[in-house]
Amino acid sequence: MLSRLVLTSGSALKNSGSFGACVVQASRSIHSSPQSKAPLPPLPEKGGKIRHGIFPEELFSLLYPKTGVTGPYMLGTGLLLYMLSKEIYVINHETFAALSISSVIIYGIKKFGPGVAAYADKLNEEKVAKAQEVKDVAVARLAQAIEDEKKEQWRVEGRHMLFDTKRNNVTMLLETNYRERLHMVTSEVKRRLDYQVELQNLHRRMEQEHMVNWVEQNVVKSITPQQEKESIAKCISDLKVLAKATQARAAV
Amino acid sequence: MALNFFDQFLSPTHLGIPLVLIAMIFPWVLYPSPSNRWLNNRLVTLQGQFFNRFTQQLLLPLNQGGHKWALILLSLMVFLLSINMLGLLPYTFTPTTQLSLNMGLAVPFWLATVIIGMRNQPTAALGHLLPEGTPVPLIPVLIIIETISLFIRPIALGVRLTANLTAGHLLIQLIAT
Repeated sequence: MLSRLVLTSGSALKNSGSFGACVVQASRSIHSSPQSKAPLPPLPEKGGKIRHGIFPEELFSLLYPKTGVTGPYMLGTGLLLYMLSKEIYVINHETFAALSISSVIIYGIKKFGPGVAAYADKLNEEKVAKAQEVKDVAVARLAQAIEDEKKEQWRVEGRHMLFDTKRNNVTMLLETNYRERLHMVTSEVKRRLDYQVELQNLHRRMEQEHMVNWVEQNVVKSITPQQEKESIAKCISDLKVLAKATQARAAV
Repeated sequence: MALNFFDQFLSPTHLGIPLVLIAMIFPWVLYPSPSNRWLNNRLVTLQGQFFNRFTQQLLLPLNQGGHKWALILLSLMVFLLSINMLGLLPYTFTPTTQLSLNMGLAVPFWLATVIIGMRNQPTAALGHLLPEGTPVPLIPVLIIIETISLFIRPIALGVRLTANLTAGHLLIQLIAT
């Protein structure tokens, strides 16, 4: 695994040409290779195959044609024995420390490895879920907008009825107004004409009265005292006749 | 015991080639640089998350202007962290046990902060030399003391790191046997 790390970071050194360990922006300013905008290939599902936790599978497949299955193991054993026998690797207190530390590390990795991997996966999942949620919310909102738009269009179809009703209303109002005004005009005209008629009537009546008065005056003026006495005597004789008639009727 | 306890603190050379540079560069190998993918592999994800939280904690007490120190502080701390932690493994060499490396880190940093402080706001920088609320007769003495402490600081910090690491490693070796 570490060897693979060296290989990958070596290739990364070739590509990036910088020592940016944590920040991509810092490394981008000293990039020497041309950056392509081609879409990146997707990440492989699993990491490189390794055997016994350290040795990459490529070593085994490299040695397989020449030495078969046991090749790498023989190589490892041989190297170890060579280094021990020639005292290139000296066994001292540090050996024991190395053994203890490596056993602790291996135990730790075996116990907590899946947990840490799950945590890393969870981080990525959360990232994806957040973006997905944004997308889903946006899609839901757009679908809702489509629904609302359809409803609005349906409403618009019914709007012509509303317009017709309003148009009828307005026409009726205009009609009513017109009729009212017409009525007012006729009544006013009639009033003026009535006034003229009254005026004429008045005129004629006054003429009549005047004429009657004039006739009466003339008649009264023309009554001589002689005529007056004659008429009074006639009246008295008439009254006497009437009184007799009435008395006779009452006695009957 | 053929080796004594202090052999681990010798700067390693092999056939006359100083290997201390390899020891210093090695932690760089362990941190893959993040690509411009959105979703990365597990190591890069974990590393990114760790650095984010670390930087967030680091920059909590600083205001906005202090945030431009984030990169160098983070890289320095991660460098020292990884070098010191790797030194706990057997057959490794911890470069920070050498006083030269620690002084080489301490003096430029300290000098940079002092010079930048003096250039940008000299009155505030000089004002740091006098703590608040000192009685008036003590002022001259205190200024001298504060200046001395300011100049001692890089030496103090460098030596502190060296001593801590040396003592720690030595202690671990002692307990291990």
